[in-house]
Amino acid sequence: MAEMLEVSGLTKRFGGLVAVNNVSFSVREKEILSVIGPNGAGKSTLFKLISSFLKPTTGEVRLKGERISGLAPHIAARRGVVRTFQETTIFRNMSVRDNVIIAHHLRSKASLFGFFLGTGAAKTDEAAFGQSADEILTLLGLSSLSNETARNLPHGHLRALGIAIGLATNPSILLLDEPFAGMNHDETMRMVEMVRRLRERGLTILLVEHDMPAVMKISDRLVVLNFGQKIAEGTPSEIQADEKVIEAYLGSEDEAIGL
Amino acid sequence: MTLNRNTRIAAVVAFLAIVFVAVPAAISSSGRFDLYYTLTSVALLSIASAGVWLTFYIGRINIGQGAYALMGGYVSAILVMNHGWSFWLTLPVAGLFCAAASVLIGLPILRLRGVYFAMVTLVLTEVARLLALALPITNGAKGIVSIPLPGALSVFGVTLIPDFATLQNSRLAFYLLAVTVMVVCFAVMYRLVNSRIGKLCQSLQQNEELASSIGVNIAYLRVIAYAVSSFFGGVSGAIFAAISQSIYPSSFTVTDSVNFMLNCFLGGLGYVFGPMLGTLVLYFGWDLLFQTGQFQLLIYSGLMIVLMLVLPNGLLSLAEMTRKKG
Amino acid sequence: MEQVIANGLYLGAQYALIALGLTLIFALMNVLNFAHGQMYVLGGFITYTIYGQLGLPFVVALLASGVTLAVIGALMEKFLFRTVIRRSHREESTMLLAAATAFFFDAVILLLFGEKQRGVPKIVKGVFNDAGIIMPYDRLVVGALAIIFIAAFVLYMQYSRVGRAMRALAQDRVAAQLMGVRVDRYSMIGFAMGAMLAGVVGGLLVTITGVNSGIGGPISIKAFLMVMIGGAGVVGGAIAGGFILGMMESVGLTVLREYGDVTYLVIFAALMVFLSVRPNGLMGKPWG
Ligand SMILES: Nc1ncnc2c1ncn2[C@@H]1O[C@H](COP(=O)(O)OP(=O)(O)OP(=O)(O)O)[C@@H](O)[C@H]1O
Ligand SMILES: [Mg+2]
Repeated sequence: MAEMLEVSGLTKRFGGLVAVNNVSFSVREKEILSVIGPNGAGKSTLFKLISSFLKPTTGEVRLKGERISGLAPHIAARRGVVRTFQETTIFRNMSVRDNVIIAHHLRSKASLFGFFLGTGAAKTDEAAFGQSADEILTLLGLSSLSNETARNLPHGHLRALGIAIGLATNPSILLLDEPFAGMNHDETMRMVEMVRRLRERGLTILLVEHDMPAVMKISDRLVVLNFGQKIAEGTPSEIQADEKVIEAYLGSEDEAIGL
Repeated sequence: MTLNRNTRIAAVVAFLAIVFVAVPAAISSSGRFDLYYTLTSVALLSIASAGVWLTFYIGRINIGQGAYALMGGYVSAILVMNHGWSFWLTLPVAGLFCAAASVLIGLPILRLRGVYFAMVTLVLTEVARLLALALPITNGAKGIVSIPLPGALSVFGVTLIPDFATLQNSRLAFYLLAVTVMVVCFAVMYRLVNSRIGKLCQSLQQNEELASSIGVNIAYLRVIAYAVSSFFGGVSGAIFAAISQSIYPSSFTVTDSVNFMLNCFLGGLGYVFGPMLGTLVLYFGWDLLFQTGQFQLLIYSGLMIVLMLVLPNGLLSLAEMTRKKG
Repeated sequence: MEQVIANGLYLGAQYALIALGLTLIFALMNVLNFAHGQMYVLGGFITYTIYGQLGLPFVVALLASGVTLAVIGALMEKFLFRTVIRRSHREESTMLLAAATAFFFDAVILLLFGEKQRGVPKIVKGVFNDAGIIMPYDRLVVGALAIIFIAAFVLYMQYSRVGRAMRALAQDRVAAQLMGVRVDRYSMIGFAMGAMLAGVVGGLLVTITGVNSGIGGPISIKAFLMVMIGGAGVVGGAIAGGFILGMMESVGLTVLREYGDVTYLVIFAALMVFLSVRPNGLMGKPWG
């Protein structure tokens, strides 16, 4: 399988703290790869580095062989790396549908000025985005809520909307930061199904998640971080048997890794 | 918005008929020619306020519009006085000059948010005043005076606009000029806000981080919006200088910048036409209170406080409230 | 040189005290108090009336300035800002309210005290002249008082129960509420304290520079400058910002004297450059 994303020697320092320390791994095309690790291990920071929200101290990120680290976030998005946020992040005062429509921005062919004048290209874009938004909303089970103002959505649906926004940008690789956080068992299982379906549609997915049963169920491979360093990498069964991983998790409070 | 197409067209036609036909007719039959000056001021101030509104729309509190109005006024005045340009040419040039300056200023300061941006822009107004005092070309505190009235504008020998100095009623001419520019500016704003650009601006206002993660070039969009805003400010300042035939460092001060902001707040930040309504109400309110003499400012600000307590979301939110109840 | 530094310190102490009040209100309620300069002017006129007109002791006058402004601040919080914050969709609405109150104070001050520049008799006579520094004794006294007030404020915020509650509130309003801090009450106390500080500085400085009804706006702008330099909502930042601005003014007025208002232009320009490098000032919390 071809490599989609390649992370090599990535390091990020915040003053004295090394949040991500010389981390390397790669994500294959159409793979679901999860990054796990105790709180504060540097997972979200890793995501911010990959999506160019932060500049790495050293090291680099390549997408399909092209260097993308250190660019502006919107350019990384244009190249196909899009992330959802750990905190629920939406456009609060827009309707659910508008949230998804606006996220089609990258696909628009008309220029800003074209939109101002309302040219033919702009109209075609608008129509296409509306249709695509409806499809995405249906896919994520949000179609009945499409005219609701986003801030009024219940929590589970907010996370789904966050993913819908990410999908609408038509990324090559989607980075999901704790997509199952705050969901009950049923909602999580529905979400797991959803993520699988996205992969079947050809998307590569990089995931951060604390919900171990879900992670083990969904992932093709895992990368384990602890104190910013990669301590293990492998299939779910390999990781579950890894001594270092068990140690790292036992060391930190009472998070269970097994099923 | 929720209005359908026909009602919208009817509303626009009615509005145009009022400002271009009904108001001049009413004024000439009543003989209250001083009202021209008042309404011209309202139109010009609402153009500057519209610019402030647009910066609100991308989530920035702009208390620096006075700086651009002052700049526009000086650019036009200097070009007319020192270089013999026609006023009609200086009008767009003043706007473009302000837009260009705002790009330079905006690139660093638009990264600031919240009160920081508000404070910096407030300071900017003060900087503009000090600059006007200090630069040789602006002639210090004495300002630039006796600027000639706008001359004739003709294209290929056809006179489109007559020389204002030859008109017997230049007040009416200025009124028509100001109102025309106002209509154009608000039409542009309406189009901006109701096209995809408006949605993009809203996305900035609501969540810049998410906007950039979906590929919006937030820095670029912010600068564009700010440049349009400053263009409005410059144009309004240039016409002001032409009407009063003078410009001083104190022509636009911090108080004006604050007032532009208040006009937007009062009209309501969620509504394109908010700044127009806000300016009209505040300006007329201020004018009406003139008879109260020394208590003018006290009553005016007192009323404003009360208004804030009763309608903290602006005058136009009243419409929304009644719609919800009904 | 020593003279410039001494002047800078004296100015800086006053400025820091003004900035502290502004930053306290901002930290607690996220309100940019446009009326801060007007509060300063009001404090100045109260001291002018009691000490300058009625001839009562300066201490009484200063106390009256502080207490009056504290009461005004408390009332403003309780009856104006609290209501608007609760009812409005946007935080920015408080800015309109603050601007309106600034106009209102301007009007009140103008009606009560007129347009004239007012001064009071010196509180201490004589001039200190040693080690290359010439400074009237009254400036020394006022400077020392300002520094004492700053120290008292910092200690109060650090160690008193009220101070600790206010710091918790400034850090995280929701968390503070969950911890049982009475948010409304401490917002009111904070607003009162911020206003009091402005009034006290007004009372102090009226003895040196006098006061007139038109300086409220410019004082607010200076206070904004200091807060931007130091970082909004941070006590240390306000103090640093105050002293830095005081120093810059003192140096600028000496070096650039021939060029008039250019000092402020230079300060503004420097601030723009500084803020583009450090958008949150020296010590400010990052935004968003
Ligand atoms: N902007 C920043 N400045 C300074 N330190 C930071 C910054 N962002 C993150 N850190 C620190 O870096 C470390 C890693 O944080 P990160 O958010 O990446 O952890 P995480 O693995 O995502 O944790 P969680 O599971 O709680 O989400 C933490 O110690 C955090 O405090
Ligand atoms: Mg995280």
